[in-house]
Amino acid sequence: MQLTRELELYPDHSVTQMLFKELKNAAELRQKAVEGKINGALINPTMLLNPFQVLVAANKAVHLQKIGKMKTRSLFSEIIFNLSPTNNISEAFKKFGISDGDDSVLVVLVHNKDESQLLSDITAKVNGRQVPVEDVSSLSDLAKIKKLYKVTPQEEKCGTLLDAVVCRMATKDVM
Amino acid sequence: MAKESSMALPEFLGKAELLKQGAEARVYRAEFLGKPTIVKERFQKHYRHPVLDEKLTHRRTVQEVRSILRCRRAGISAPVVYFVDYTSHCIFLEEIMGSLTVRDHIISTQKSDSCPELELERLAQRVGQILAKMHDEDVIHGDLTTSNMLLRRSPEDGESDLILIDFGLSYISALPEDKGVDLYVLEKAFLSTHPNTEALFEKLLKSYAAASKKSSAVIKKLDEVRLRGRKRSMVG
Repeated sequence: MQLTRELELYPDHSVTQMLFKELKNAAELRQKAVEGKINGALINPTMLLNPFQVLVAANKAVHLQKIGKMKTRSLFSEIIFNLSPTNNISEAFKKFGISDGDDSVLVVLVHNKDESQLLSDITAKVNGRQVPVEDVSSLSDLAKIKKLYKVTPQEEKCGTLLDAVVCRMATKDVM
Repeated sequence: MAKESSMALPEFLGKAELLKQGAEARVYRAEFLGKPTIVKERFQKHYRHPVLDEKLTHRRTVQEVRSILRCRRAGISAPVVYFVDYTSHCIFLEEIMGSLTVRDHIISTQKSDSCPELELERLAQRVGQILAKMHDEDVIHGDLTTSNMLLRRSPEDGESDLILIDFGLSYISALPEDKGVDLYVLEKAFLSTHPNTEALFEKLLKSYAAASKKSSAVIKKLDEVRLRGRKRSMVG
């Protein structure tokens, strides 16, 4: 159902992704997140292609936190910011964070080994139906993603859309 | 209070498979975030002044990453960048699976094919085209050799993908001189690695000239650079 992966470069840290559909309390969740009451990043899944994309963002966020070079104020906002192809923080939140009317959400947790308590905390707070994280590709809004990441047609011929997106995420700080 | 976890990069690299150790960097293979990955580590050069070393190493890392993205945007196949660690100057890249260097392909084709010319001419044509596209994007590869080009079998289409790798010495430049030198480096590497292939390389250049909008200035510079090289008379 959910997907947990240990970060090779930071083995004390694991990243868990949980996907929910038929979300009924997006506004309440967003408010709680703003108040710091949610121990995870709440992401709009229509902007995601694949759980790998989230792992890349989370890995970079943990790395920057460890070296004290995050651009945003918390690990979770940093994960959301890393998904964005631009360096504009508020735009990243608008595009990749959840909005009040959303009917689905992907929750990203960063924790060490024992996570069962965290998972049940989240399922308690989210009013929605949990589905396998791999289902996220069925929610992807390809047109919106291509437009936001400015993927060129020739680029799509030499690789997948996921390749184009991940490459930009990994290199945006020097472009 | 949990112990502050430190970066496990040294352990990670220790467990990874070292593929190559060059003067500039070490190249490893490992699994990263579930994907087969190549890690290029530009290690510290203790023979350099530390401030200079840091500046140079950082600059080379940044240039490499920029060139890769620039090429990809233009439709030139290059490995996907997954993560860059600017503190240890490591680039985590997609490992291209099921590939063969153009160098090895040429050598094996020459040995086994009954009629290698057709295959090799087609290859030269494609390489010329891809380099034209790259130079039209003002990307100078800096280390063009047939070992830095990969052919990956494509399951559906038939013709394999041509992928450029090792952008470690690359930079952005619009100057025909720089593009001419880029081609000169390839010519030298090509002819020394693959003896008696002058005609094949000419085909590559013809394909380049046909595919690039700015080629005449570049070819002109290439001719000038050829006259300059080692053991060449500079008599005008």
